[in-house]
Amino acid sequence: MKSFEWVNASTIAEAVRMLNTAAPGKDIDEAPRPIAGGQDLITTMKDYTTRPTRVVNLKSIRGLDRITSDSKGGLTIGALVTLNQIEEHAGIRKNFPGLAEAAHSVATPQIRNLGTIGGNLCQRPRCWYFRLEEVVCLKKGGSQCYAATGENKYHAIFGGGPSFIVHPSDLAPMLVALGARVAVTGSSGKQVIALDKFFTLPAEGDVRRENVLKNDDIITEIQVPASPFAARSTYLKFKERESLDFALAAVAAAVQLQPNKTVKTARIVLGGVAPIPWRVPDAEKFLTGKIVNRDVLAQAAKIALKDAQPLEKNAYKVPLTETLVRRALAKAAGVSL
Amino acid sequence: MQQQTQQQPAAKPKKKIRVPRVINGVEQMVEIEVDEDSGPGWGPNDKHTLLNHRIPRVDGPLKASGTAKYTYDMRLPGMLYGRILRCPHAHARITSMNTDAASAIPGVKAIVKAPLEETRFSGAPVAAVAAITPEIADDAIHAIVVKYEILPHVVIPDESIKPGAPKVVPDPPDRKEDNLQQKAKAGDLQKVEAAFATADAIIEAEYRTARLHHSCLETHGMVVDYRGGETATVYASTQGTFTIPEESAKFLGLPQSAVTAVVQHMGGGFGSKFGIGTEGMFACRLSKETKSPVKLMLTRYDEFVMTGNRSASWQKIKAGVKKDGSLVAVQSRQYRLGGVGQGSQAGQPYIYRGGEFYREIYALHTNEDSSNAMRAPGHPQASFAIESLMDELAYKIQMDPVAFRKKNLLSPTYHRQLDRGAKEIGWSRRNAMAGGNPGPLKRGFGCAVGTWGGGGNNQCKVDVTVARDGSVVVAVGVQDLGTGTRTYTRAIVAEEFGLQVTDVTEQIGNSKLGAAVASGGSVTAASLSPSVKDAAIKARLLFAERVAPLLDNAKPEDIKFANGTVSANNKSITWKQASASLPAAGITSHGVWRSDLQATGVQGCCFAEVEVDVETGFIRPIKMVHIQNGGLPLNRLTMESQINGGMIQSLGMSLWEGRVIDGELGMPLNPHFGDYKLPGSLEMPELVPIIDDDDKREAVIGIAEPAVIPAVGAIANAVFNATGVRIRELPITPDKILMGLMNSGPISTAKV
Repeated sequence: MKSFEWVNASTIAEAVRMLNTAAPGKDIDEAPRPIAGGQDLITTMKDYTTRPTRVVNLKSIRGLDRITSDSKGGLTIGALVTLNQIEEHAGIRKNFPGLAEAAHSVATPQIRNLGTIGGNLCQRPRCWYFRLEEVVCLKKGGSQCYAATGENKYHAIFGGGPSFIVHPSDLAPMLVALGARVAVTGSSGKQVIALDKFFTLPAEGDVRRENVLKNDDIITEIQVPASPFAARSTYLKFKERESLDFALAAVAAAVQLQPNKTVKTARIVLGGVAPIPWRVPDAEKFLTGKIVNRDVLAQAAKIALKDAQPLEKNAYKVPLTETLVRRALAKAAGVSL
Repeated sequence: MQQQTQQQPAAKPKKKIRVPRVINGVEQMVEIEVDEDSGPGWGPNDKHTLLNHRIPRVDGPLKASGTAKYTYDMRLPGMLYGRILRCPHAHARITSMNTDAASAIPGVKAIVKAPLEETRFSGAPVAAVAAITPEIADDAIHAIVVKYEILPHVVIPDESIKPGAPKVVPDPPDRKEDNLQQKAKAGDLQKVEAAFATADAIIEAEYRTARLHHSCLETHGMVVDYRGGETATVYASTQGTFTIPEESAKFLGLPQSAVTAVVQHMGGGFGSKFGIGTEGMFACRLSKETKSPVKLMLTRYDEFVMTGNRSASWQKIKAGVKKDGSLVAVQSRQYRLGGVGQGSQAGQPYIYRGGEFYREIYALHTNEDSSNAMRAPGHPQASFAIESLMDELAYKIQMDPVAFRKKNLLSPTYHRQLDRGAKEIGWSRRNAMAGGNPGPLKRGFGCAVGTWGGGGNNQCKVDVTVARDGSVVVAVGVQDLGTGTRTYTRAIVAEEFGLQVTDVTEQIGNSKLGAAVASGGSVTAASLSPSVKDAAIKARLLFAERVAPLLDNAKPEDIKFANGTVSANNKSITWKQASASLPAAGITSHGVWRSDLQATGVQGCCFAEVEVDVETGFIRPIKMVHIQNGGLPLNRLTMESQINGGMIQSLGMSLWEGRVIDGELGMPLNPHFGDYKLPGSLEMPELVPIIDDDDKREAVIGIAEPAVIPAVGAIANAVFNATGVRIRELPITPDKILMGLMNSGPISTAKV
C-alpha cells in the first residue's frame, strides 16, 4: 500500500473540500479517494491498483448512517448505512424485500458489517486483469482490454466494448429496478441523479471509471421511491461458490400484479452480465398485460437475453441468466415453475 | 513394499527392508538394515487404553484461543520486515536493476538481489528488501526499477507441445531437449493392441486436471534471528525442522551446528514446505547484512506464484473391456504439466491390474513456476482420469460401477470397503440411468478407490525422561504440521506408564532435540511412533528396575503400570510414590525406530452423492463417505480429521480450484482467494469418515495422503450419474455443465 495522507472529515462540505484540495496525482488512480467501509478500496490500495495521495474518511461525518421513510413509504438511505443494516431492516424486508435480499447476498457477514451502500455502488470491477497489479489494461490507462480475447468466463455478454468488465454491485441492479436515485455532493453543489443514469458504459463514459462521479464527488444518500411493485421485488444471485463470491449472473425483478396474476408493471435488471446494471425493457414490455405462467416466463427470459453477445468463454451465461430471469419473476409473482 | 529377508551372521538377527525417504516432499525408496525382532509390540488394536481412542488434540485450546505461536506471530526486538520483488513476465532477461530510489526511502535497511539473469515464469523472485515496517518494504520493492528484455514464452500445454514453440527449459550441455520429454514407458504395446481386438467395448478419452495450490493458511516464510554473533535461531514454517539449519547456515556464513531451527506450530504445508526456499535464502541474506532479526513471510500473491503447485495433467487413455466387465487392455499417453519443473503423475492404469497395459509418460514444460510435492503427488490426477474412465466403461456395458470395480479389483479389502461405502451412501437410491431423474435438481452417485504406502523409516530419535516428582517429558525435534503429532507422542508414553495424556509433556519442533523425519509422503506417524514407543518401553523398564525394591523385588518386566499406579506381587503404589524412588536427575531412555511397529500399504474408497441443478449448472455436494484402513489408528479423532480433510481438499479439486493463466500475458490471473475458489463452510456436504477396523494389523501406517485420492473421481462420477454429462476436465464448474448440456453430449473428448 503506497503511503498516503489520512483525513477525518466531520462534514460533507469538509469532505468535498479535502478531496478537492489534495494533490491530484499523475493518474486518475492516484487521485484522492473517500473511504467509508473500505471493503473494496483497501483491497485495491493493497495491490497498488489505487494509489491515492489522500484518503478522506467519511465515517466521521454524523447522520449518514440512517434509514428513514417518507409519508408515502419511500426510503432515504444514508450513504454510510451498512449492508447489514439494510438486510436486517424490518421495513425494507417487508416493503422492499428484493433490496434486503440483494444486501444479504453480498460477500460475508464480516464484510456486510462494514461495507456501506455508497461504497457498494462505487465498487471497482472484479475483472482479474484489472485486479492484477502488473497488468496495465484499458481501465488502468493501457491500450487493451485483455478480457476481450483472453480469459473472459466472468465477463460481459451485454454492453461490452471497448472494456468487457461486469459491474460487481449486487445492490445496483435492485436499486435500478426500484427506480432509485442517488444524491451526490461535489464542489459544484448537490445534485440528485437517477441511478440508471449514474453508471456509465465504457463506450459512452470515461473508460477509466464506472460512473459519473468526479474525484471530489461523494454520494450522500440513496432515495428509493415508494412504488406499486416494490413489495413484489426479489434479487436472485447465482454464485459458483456460495461462501463468498460475486455473481456470475443475477436478476433483480419487481412486478405489479392484478388479482388474476396479470402483469401491470414489470422491472427486470440483470447483474453480473454487463458493465452497468442491465435493464431489459423489451422483456418488461412483453410481460405487461400478460398472465404470469410458465410459458410466458420462458418467453420473457428468451427476450431478456436475445441481444446477448457472448465472448469466447461465457456463452453459458445466456442459458444461466435465462433460468434466473424465469425463477426471479416466478418468485416475485408468487407462482411456481 | 517389497520385503527382502536375509540372515546375517551377527548374534542379533537382522533383515533388510526398503523404506521411504522423503526428499523435497517426494518419497524415494531406500534399503536399510534393521533388527529382525526387537521387543514388545503394540498389542491388539482393541486393547489400548489411550491409543485407538478419541483423544482431543493437546494443542487445540492453544490454537483456538490464539495462544499458539506460529512463525507468522514472531516479533523480536529490532526486527525488520522483508518483502520480495517478483518478475511479472513469463520469460525475460534482466538487463538492469536500479535500487537507488528504493534505498533512499527512510526505513529501508537492506536490498539483496537474486543470483539470476533470466527468469522463466511470471512470479520469479528477483530481489528482496528489509525495512522497519512491512509497508515501507512494500513501497521499496515498488521503487526498484528493473529493465527486462522480454523473451518468447508459452504457458498453454497445447501450444508448448507444438514444434517451434518457445523453449521453456534451457538445453543441458550434453543434449538438446524439447518442451516435451519422455520420462517413462512401461507395458507391451503389441499385446495391448492384440487385446483391444478381443474387447466388447472400447473408450478413448482425454482427461485434464488443473494446476492446484497448496493454500496453506500460514504462508511460507522464516524469521531469522541473527544479530552478528556466533549463533542464529531460525523460526520456520516448515514440514522439516531438520531441513532448515544446513541451508540457513550456508547463507548466514555460520557452521550448521550454530543454527537452531524452531518450529513450534505451523500453518500447513501439504508438501510445499521443505528446506528454506528462496524466501528463506533472502531472509538469511538480509539478516546477515543488517545484523538484525528479519521476518520474511510471503504475501498471499507471492504464495500463489512462488511456492510451487500440484502439477496439472493431460491424459489420453484408451481402455477396452469385455461384456462381463473384465478389463482387457489400457493404453495411455500421460503429460505431466509441471511448469519449469518435472510434475508428477502416477502411471496408468493406476490401481487397475486387469488385462494388458501400455503407457508413456512425458513431462511437458510451460513457462510457469515449478510444481512441487502436494499431498499424494501425482495420485489424484491419475485417479480422476482412470476412475472416470472405469465409470465410462461400466455405463457403456451397462454394469453397476461398484460391481465393475469389484470385478477388476481382486483385493478383498476393496470388496468389503466398496460394500460398506455403498451401504453408507445409499447406493440403492441411485438411478442407473445417468441424468434419468425428473426435474431440474438431479441427484447422482459415484464411487472411486485409492491406495497408498504410508510406511516409515529410521530417522527419529526420541528421549523420554521421568523426573523424581513424576513428571514425564517426551522429546524429539519433529514438527507438528497440524496432523496431531504432539498428541499421539504424549499418548504413546502416557499409555505405556498407565497415565493420562495430560500427565506427559512433549517437547518438539527444535533442531537441538533428537533427530526426526521430515513430514512428507505420510511417513511421520510410522517413522516417529515406533521410536516413541521404543523410548517409552525402555523408560518403563528403567523405571521398573528402580521401583522394584518397593515391590518385593519384582522382575521389572512383571511390574504393571495402570490407572496411575505401579504394582506387582499384590503390592500397589501410586505413580508419585514410585517416582520418588528415582535418582535426583530422574531417568532418561533413548528410543530408536523399530520396523516391526509399523507397516505400509493402505486402501480406501470414497462414495459421493451430489445434486446438480441442470438449469444453472450448480453442483451441490450432498454427502461423501470415505472408508480407510490404516493398521493401528493412534488417535481416532485425528484419523477421522485426516479423512475429512482429504475429502474436502479433493472436493475443492473436483469443483472449484484451479489456476487460470493468460496465454498472451503468461501471467496467472487468480493468485488470490477471491478467484482461486477454495470450498467454504457453505460448500460442505455431510462428511462421513469411516475407519476400516477390519484391518487388524498391529502396526502404525500413515494415512494423510490416501484420504485425498479417490474423492475426486467419486464426485466426477456422481456428477455424470446426475446429469448424463461427462466432464473430463477439472474443476467441474457450472459453465462446463451448461455447455455440456447445450452440446447434449460428452465434451472435451479426443483420440489417443
